[in-house]
Amino acid sequence: MSGNTGNSSRPDYQYIGKPVPRHDAWDKVFGTTKYAEDFSMPGQLHGKVLRAKFPAANIVSIDTSEAEKNPGVKAIMTAKDVPNNETVTRFGQTRAVGGFEGLYRVLAYKKIRYKGEGVAIIAAETPEIAEEAAGLVRVEYEPLAGVFDPIEAMKPGAYQVGESESNVICSYKVRKGDVKEGFAGSDVIVENTFRVPHVEHAFIEPESGIAWVDENGVINIRVCTQVIEHFRGIADVLGVPHNQVRVIAPMLGGGFGSKEDITVETYLALLAGKTGKPVKMTYSREESIIVTSKRHPYRMTYKAGVTREGRLQALEVKLVSDAGGHIYLSPWVLLYSTVMATGPYNIPNVKVDAHTVLTNNTFSSANRGFGGPQVCFAYESMMDELANNLGLSPLDLRKRNYLHKGDALSNGRILDYGVETEQTAVRALEALGGPSKPSSAYEKVGRGFASGMLSYGRIMYLHDTSRSYVSVELDGSVVIKCGVQDLGGGQASSLASITAEILGVPMEDIKVYFGDTAFTPLAGTTTATRQMFMSGNATLKAAKAVRENLKKKVAEMLEANPEDLEFKNKKIHVKGDPDNAVTLREAVGACASDGVPVYDVAQFNAPFADTIDFETGQGQVWPDFTFGSIAAEVEVDIETGKVNVLKLVSCFDVGQAINSLSAEGQLEGGAVYGLGYGLMEEVILDKGITMTPSFSEYLIPTAMDVPQIKTIMVESGDGAGPFGAKGIGEPSCVPTAPAVANAVCDAIGARIYDLPLTPEKILKALGKLEP
Amino acid sequence: MGNTEYIKPKNLNDLLNNKKETEGRGAVIAGGTNLIPQMQEKIKSPEFLIDVCDLQELSQIKEENGMISIGAGTTIADIASSDIINVKSPILASAARQLGNPLVRNRATIGGNLADASPAADTAPPLLALEAFLFLESEGGGQREVPLEQFFTGPNQTVMKANEVMTRICFSEPEHPLNGGYIKLGLRKAMAISVVSVAVMLDVEEGICRKARIALGSVAPKPVRAYGVEKNLEGKELNRDVIEASANKVTKDISPISDIRASAKYRQHTSSVLLKRAILEARDRGKK
Amino acid sequence: MKKYPMHINLNGEWVEMEADAGETLLQTLRNKLDAVEVKNGCGKGDCGACTVILNGNPVNACLTLALQADGKEVVTIKGIGSVQNPHPIQKSFVEKGAIQCGFCTAGHVLSAKVLLDKNPEPTRDDITEAISGNLCRCTGYTKIVEAIEDSVLEAQSGRE
Repeated sequence: MSGNTGNSSRPDYQYIGKPVPRHDAWDKVFGTTKYAEDFSMPGQLHGKVLRAKFPAANIVSIDTSEAEKNPGVKAIMTAKDVPNNETVTRFGQTRAVGGFEGLYRVLAYKKIRYKGEGVAIIAAETPEIAEEAAGLVRVEYEPLAGVFDPIEAMKPGAYQVGESESNVICSYKVRKGDVKEGFAGSDVIVENTFRVPHVEHAFIEPESGIAWVDENGVINIRVCTQVIEHFRGIADVLGVPHNQVRVIAPMLGGGFGSKEDITVETYLALLAGKTGKPVKMTYSREESIIVTSKRHPYRMTYKAGVTREGRLQALEVKLVSDAGGHIYLSPWVLLYSTVMATGPYNIPNVKVDAHTVLTNNTFSSANRGFGGPQVCFAYESMMDELANNLGLSPLDLRKRNYLHKGDALSNGRILDYGVETEQTAVRALEALGGPSKPSSAYEKVGRGFASGMLSYGRIMYLHDTSRSYVSVELDGSVVIKCGVQDLGGGQASSLASITAEILGVPMEDIKVYFGDTAFTPLAGTTTATRQMFMSGNATLKAAKAVRENLKKKVAEMLEANPEDLEFKNKKIHVKGDPDNAVTLREAVGACASDGVPVYDVAQFNAPFADTIDFETGQGQVWPDFTFGSIAAEVEVDIETGKVNVLKLVSCFDVGQAINSLSAEGQLEGGAVYGLGYGLMEEVILDKGITMTPSFSEYLIPTAMDVPQIKTIMVESGDGAGPFGAKGIGEPSCVPTAPAVANAVCDAIGARIYDLPLTPEKILKALGKLEP
Repeated sequence: MGNTEYIKPKNLNDLLNNKKETEGRGAVIAGGTNLIPQMQEKIKSPEFLIDVCDLQELSQIKEENGMISIGAGTTIADIASSDIINVKSPILASAARQLGNPLVRNRATIGGNLADASPAADTAPPLLALEAFLFLESEGGGQREVPLEQFFTGPNQTVMKANEVMTRICFSEPEHPLNGGYIKLGLRKAMAISVVSVAVMLDVEEGICRKARIALGSVAPKPVRAYGVEKNLEGKELNRDVIEASANKVTKDISPISDIRASAKYRQHTSSVLLKRAILEARDRGKK
Repeated sequence: MKKYPMHINLNGEWVEMEADAGETLLQTLRNKLDAVEVKNGCGKGDCGACTVILNGNPVNACLTLALQADGKEVVTIKGIGSVQNPHPIQKSFVEKGAIQCGFCTAGHVLSAKVLLDKNPEPTRDDITEAISGNLCRCTGYTKIVEAIEDSVLEAQSGRE
């Protein structure tokens, strides 16, 4: 279900904003799309990772001799066999920035930092032989105490996870005004501590890939990744020039941030390089849950002061996130949380102190929302509690404090694009309709909502760029080549929508080649909700350049002014005179014979900025933000604590929907991703051991757990993307968990400060179960 | 899985012979929904797989002389949609409809659900409340009848001997089949392992409880009967106070543990809550 | 390792192969019959990505021994429609935008097909129950349910 509102002055688009079936949907519904694991090669070997049995241990010795006796085993590699097993990264994939360094190891060396860390890799003729060989590698461990709680890990004298002197990876601050004064001027002060758990991405396609060495000696890797540009890092590990490694990303079966870090690809490159044969590897679901990245658990202390009239005066926040055994993207995730800790509110006095800390838990890294959902749960729970204390409605309190266009974030960043948070909240609440009646005497119905914000586009001091190629063939069909990775969100298809609009050709006449470092212009990562903004703009620029060339040629042919030409239905005609036209095919033919280029490679540069002031957090971090609200109605069984979600409405300012079907799909999928976070998802770790290693223990919502979601798209037309679009992939999931938490609180009259809201926690909050 | 052999008996006699010949090294596979993952994870490595999934003899639901008989190889989906089961034992139909998900229900069998002997086996509480018994047969040893309650000995443990095969599950047709209640509490609405499940069958005459049969899942090392509650209800008028007081006594009949799904305390608490509701449901449905 | 000869009717055509005792139908379909449209999501029956229709009923191919399908009819997503002749549910999934990454799509379509074959007028609850063994992480299920509802309406208007 959906509805939207347009900007009244919105141009009359042919394709943009229309509910067009995606160009990749037919292949998927017929089962012809080939994902990473669907690709095999003659003579391929099968890879397997031998993984550490302990979360914290010293490796005393590794003996591979027994395992090597099986003639079916073609290679066994440990850390000492990897040309460059250690990489030290100064953060920033394209630009070295930041005051800290990350140490990465391909395979564990001397010290195990989390359970399941790779110790050895094996290539064998069959998966069974590879597995058997893994069992025959003798690893002697000396188990160590380890540390599993980030608060403990920060204390002096704590067990050291790595080799450095502190488990604290990095800290960020925001300083604005004076919080002491702010609290002194407040009538009501509320302070709470919130906790959120490890979360699994739970894409349905496990990590998989195949690598081979081609006739030119280039190592090719076809892998489900969000970042084909890891080819550089892989080349560094192998000790070969960057131009000797090629990464291809087929259609992905979901990513959600966990395929942003390297998974199987370096292992595959090493094994293929060593054996000279194709090597294929797929993680089991258990492996995927136990060893790959998780969403960061946080402990968040929030203290907020507000006047009797409901004006926020001060906010003091302390954040500690659990990075797990290796650094990965923890500093970046923390930066997002730090700067967005205030939410979409105008607060004069702000103090944020944030730390991310190593432990011997599974490592944490990117997960849809990238530090945004955690703090949103805290600030939106706080807003409801403040409203309750003031006797104001949650909406009234928020209305008095929402940021608007032209306002500054707590770090001084001026919001110079559309900020329609208030409208999204009002409309989401309206769309809930009349209240539902409880289905029984022991059930209570409650409603709540939450507003949230998230940036789109990468951090500005990383100096992000993207490239795209557009050309028209002699028959009038269109080719796009762009190095995007398509995770399933329609990243490739949206480029076709943009080009269709500019060149006036239907989607089915456009072919998008994507995700190949050798043949598609590099477009950067499919992360940070950046592809629509970055590669959308690059593609728009390329398509416009092609159109300009065509215009000049057609103007000659039709003896018209180039500015008067319109591109529609594979024809170019003079405005107001549709019969005065040539077909696109004729126009391309004319260009070809006269040597006029009908292709263009365009680069789009995001706005660049310098690093922030690390003492105050002041500066520019992102190009723009997406704002939205989610409203929920729930029914809570007050005797068992079970929550039934009756209604869920998502309303976001999407700027401009490029494909309204896809945009709605993102809003719906994001809402449910957040619903799982709110109600049932938690990777339970017991001293570094994952207790929920399968989908029967790690629960995500089924179709029966989800109501029909109502989506409302506000189209302000005021975003940094093509046609005024904003990014929505990640922002869409941010406010659900606090919306549900606020609804539960409304129903039962008690607040819960820890996610997920399990039946047990609800009974405890109701005082029906001893804490 | 290395050298596992596959045997597909054509009839029950063959099956009994196969079971005897393989001398405890063979596993009967029907739906495979428990066994296949256990084999993949190498928790079980049977030398022989004896496949009964197409044995018609084992997959019939019959009603004869006041007895309901369900072949051990009957799928959960067939039980959920069976007219006999829906009319004569709605609580079992209800449990079958809530087991796993439709894909699993199309493969999983009632015999497999019981033989796996999980404390959370969904069909066990209603069958215990129906006082079901099952038939175990072996070549040379004939057939023995075991009350379901005595069948389970602990988590994944039963009295079934290595050469035995479960053939049927039977129970007397309840006099008042509608006087039943079944409630499953899981952490999501489908594909959920129960946190607590309760099943109730009552005989009520003029408001007085003549007989109560109550069982619970996931609250002890095996599915259990709640004798204390039953005794408390019998002979009494089924008013709210009696029901509540009796349901609260269930904590003495159960011994739940804490696991990733819930704490022991939560299970204790919700066991009495669900029991109260199931008893009310059983009482009120029968009133008509 | 002992191999057993077997044959299945895969999408209307009888095919012969050999299988090990412990081999799952999923392994056979993907590794021996190149039916890679059947996806491997968890291998334990917890996600439904490997759904196939076995003798008329949707099942997890990972929870079925290959040999248990001997002599039976196995239908994958490729067996219910094609570019030339798409199944109404397939058409509806595309037009309603019910497909994002597509990894779970086949399972949902096949579960829905069997539902509609058996129950031409399902309620929303019937639909969500029928696909409750098929996890989707992208769509939030809303458009999947709408697509199934839509194909029901289309079938009804076709009958009238």
